[in-house]
Amino acid sequence: MFEPHFHFDDVNERQTAFHRRAFLLGGATGVGLLALAGRLGQLQLLEAGKYKVLSEHNEFEFRLTPPPRGLILDRSGVVLASNRPAFRLLLATDENVDVDQVLTELSQLVPMDDARRARLAADIANAPRRAPVAVVEDMTWEEFSRVNVRAPELPGVTADMGEVRVYPYGGAFTHVVGYVAKVNASDITKTGPNADPILLNPGFRIGRQGVEKFFDLPLRGKPGAKKVEVDVKGRVVREDPAGDVPSTPGAPIRLTLDADIQNRAIEVFGNDSGAAVMLDCRTGDVLCLASAPSFDANRFVKGLTGPEYKALSEYDRKPLFNKALTANYPPGSTFKTMVALAALEAGVNPDRTYVCNKAWFWGGRVWHCDKAHGVQDMHNAIKSSCDIFFYQTALSVGPDRIAATARKFGLGGTFDIPIPGQKPGIIPDSAYKRRFFPRDPVWHAGETPSMGIGQGYVSVNALQLAVMVARLANGSKAINPRLVHAIGDEIQPPGTAGGDLPFQRAHLEFVREAMASVANDPGGTAYKEMQLGLGPIKIAGKTGTAQTHSYAGGRGEHGAQGAWVLRDHAWFICFAPYDDPRYAMSVLVEHGGFGADAAAPKAAELMRVALLKDKDVRDRITASPQAPGLTPGAPAAT
Amino acid sequence: MTDSALTRPGERERLTVKLGEIDWLLAALLAAITGVGVLMLYSIAGGTWGPWADRHAALFFFCFLAMIALGVTDLRIWFAVAYPVYAVGLVLLLAAAVIGHTRLGAQRWLDLGPIHLQPSEIIKIGLVLALARFYHSLPGRYAGLSWWLLIPAALILVPAAIVARQPDLGTAILIAGTGAVMMILAGLSLRLVAVGLVGLAAAAPLAAMFVLKGYQRARLLTFLHPEADRSGAGYHIIQSKIALGSGGLMGKGFGLGSQAQLNFLPEKSTDFIFASLAEEFGFVGCVSVLLLYAAVIVIGLRIASVAHSHFGRLAASGVIVTFTLCVLINGAMVMGLAPVVGVPMPLLSFGGTVMMTMMAGFALVQAVRVHRYSEITSGHGALL
Repeated sequence: MFEPHFHFDDVNERQTAFHRRAFLLGGATGVGLLALAGRLGQLQLLEAGKYKVLSEHNEFEFRLTPPPRGLILDRSGVVLASNRPAFRLLLATDENVDVDQVLTELSQLVPMDDARRARLAADIANAPRRAPVAVVEDMTWEEFSRVNVRAPELPGVTADMGEVRVYPYGGAFTHVVGYVAKVNASDITKTGPNADPILLNPGFRIGRQGVEKFFDLPLRGKPGAKKVEVDVKGRVVREDPAGDVPSTPGAPIRLTLDADIQNRAIEVFGNDSGAAVMLDCRTGDVLCLASAPSFDANRFVKGLTGPEYKALSEYDRKPLFNKALTANYPPGSTFKTMVALAALEAGVNPDRTYVCNKAWFWGGRVWHCDKAHGVQDMHNAIKSSCDIFFYQTALSVGPDRIAATARKFGLGGTFDIPIPGQKPGIIPDSAYKRRFFPRDPVWHAGETPSMGIGQGYVSVNALQLAVMVARLANGSKAINPRLVHAIGDEIQPPGTAGGDLPFQRAHLEFVREAMASVANDPGGTAYKEMQLGLGPIKIAGKTGTAQTHSYAGGRGEHGAQGAWVLRDHAWFICFAPYDDPRYAMSVLVEHGGFGADAAAPKAAELMRVALLKDKDVRDRITASPQAPGLTPGAPAAT
Repeated sequence: MTDSALTRPGERERLTVKLGEIDWLLAALLAAITGVGVLMLYSIAGGTWGPWADRHAALFFFCFLAMIALGVTDLRIWFAVAYPVYAVGLVLLLAAAVIGHTRLGAQRWLDLGPIHLQPSEIIKIGLVLALARFYHSLPGRYAGLSWWLLIPAALILVPAAIVARQPDLGTAILIAGTGAVMMILAGLSLRLVAVGLVGLAAAAPLAAMFVLKGYQRARLLTFLHPEADRSGAGYHIIQSKIALGSGGLMGKGFGLGSQAQLNFLPEKSTDFIFASLAEEFGFVGCVSVLLLYAAVIVIGLRIASVAHSHFGRLAASGVIVTFTLCVLINGAMVMGLAPVVGVPMPLLSFGGTVMMTMMAGFALVQAVRVHRYSEITSGHGALL
């Protein structure tokens, strides 16, 4: 900086200069204020008459008209969410309206119990002055005409036609499509003190979950305005259709889902709890993303009553929960595919054998297998799902390599899917221990065997496993799942941009062959369940049975029986056709017991639906000389 | 108390003397303007104290006490904290740009637990202080035209650019405008000012085409042709003009403004409160309030002129410049003379952070008045 200069002249000069400039500033400000006063004079004195007239009628007012909400479609255009017209009743209050009396009179015309009435009174009290509140929505025609006839005696009440969101399939798509619900106070304050006025429109619904929430703005469209002439009290005197501003309808969202597969998924689950995810393993398109049990989204549009919500949230099979991607489970034996691949890549000879005697003593404890498999090489160990082979293979490879392989297949990751709440789960390695276990930051060798059979810290979700199978099946590309086919006219990029899988083709082929033997060799763990009866079309898969708790405490030897919440989770992952992979899927049955018993039959049924919808696959079946007649479940010629 | 008593050494340091030196007329004018604001907020809330009038009054009360307390704070302390305040403001501004909370589509707020901080308000005061301190230490001969002026230019442009990116065009204009006027007051070559004005006039259409965001451009276009979009952005301007015009000479009377009462007016509690005032109290009311503002400005500039230290002169005048720009821009906006940029009418508009900044600024003005005879001798601050 400067040395202080305090020559009197300098100080004096600065002061004089400042005075001159400050005087100029004062002058300029004066001119500015005079200009404002002049403008005020022009508006308030010269043109006052004109504006007085304008304010008395306020001539025109523009009432917002909400546009129709965009449709949500499946891959072939089947409507998953649409709108239907509905009659409704609005009540606008001012100081002349006795709310209590109006509600009493209304309750004689339309059904209204005390709880509903109390809620309405609260809504009306909270609404901004003169903002209409939807008193009754979705009236029948009889109710509508009854109220309309009596309308003149009901001050502030108007009946009009609005639109209601409707989900034709009820619950099957809820966890993907989501639902719309009433706008609440936080929706309005969230966007600031001057909220989007359309939010205040009576009966307006905002996307609350899933695709409805994620694409709320494009689905909403742009509101139009209805030009009306109003008097000074804001009552409509006359409409002026010529001045209406048309609304822009919301953009349709086309998903990659297949309505047939998704609907069938909810059916095959019945009362079971779990998830099914199917991908097209060539493009990454998500054909099915189901979580069961589900719930009827239409109930949420209307507004759930307290007991309804309580019943849903307290049911132990958790219908409100999206089990396909917001819940993580140990992958169990399905993870052996990753361990095997990591071992092959690390140079382990697949012909190396281990002997399985149902129990293996290592590290001062016993490690169990579900039966004595005898001498096992890698192929057989996948086919028969031998734990003892994989305990030892995991030890020879180490956690870091297994984890690196698993991550390349999408496990432990989240994907660009417009459903909020994806949980990445855990693919543990030594870095994970360092980071999350500050008191015990070392990976112990004793933790590796559990990881080798997909237990221990490992936890994944059904979407990740589906991506894993899709990448295995694809064999070359690290495809990513794509759920949205198009937003309006904008086609979304396919999931094939992910780059190549950095693994030797021969190793991938080895794992795929082993998976094929699971389903097609009589000794495979899912041989019985995987006979699709589709002639030459074969499936490849892997079972998984994941412990939910340690059996060491003596709480049951294998968790297929006993209390529901203690039973094992059942997994099945598969792809088909084996020789020309198109569809890849993962099925989770929460507390379902054995993977082969609980999950595999569901997977087989859904795979059959997908395969039979595919024209190329059908052609292959009918062209086959040994076509068995397409009876589902019939044993195929082998 | 006679003048001679005040010349005794140390006499001016006594608190009672300092309190007597506060410009109570200025304080009363500020209270009067705020009083009008409270009345209007009461009226447009439909004759209720909530949700605005009571909070506006309470906040002013506390800010008023704070103004007195800060007003008797030694000017050398203000001088010493000038750069730190600016630095803190700038850091918070950057922090808000990176991690800030998006509200109203703009990243202006920093969430610090229960406090929502708006760093652009801190930087308003910080900039005035920093510029005043810089010019205080800069020999007068450099203030006209020299390379040294790149420093104040950077002090102004960096925060203005960040704020403009938030995007908060109104505040960015205020910061840049205040800074520019302060440079002129400090003696910037008038030739350079003329060149700058010409350049600005030439650059404005280009900026409108390429720099402004879509909605900002829309506001400009709407300003030029409000009738083209009567239900959208033009609505604000039309309704505001109807409110003003229908007020006439004497206004519709307190609590009787139908434009505001019936919610035709947008942002009636904040940016457009002057329109409600115009509707209910007419030309007479408006001109009276403008006269109150004019009185504040005149008193403020007078305080700046009599200060002995260059720091005091520039600091006080900087605050007054911000205040003046707010009044002129908001007035022009409400009357349809300027595009809607989101600048509040000081003390009249509801808004906590803006009031706090304004009152902090007037605390500085009071401090300059109370310590008008003190010389700040060292370029680095005498106290700290």
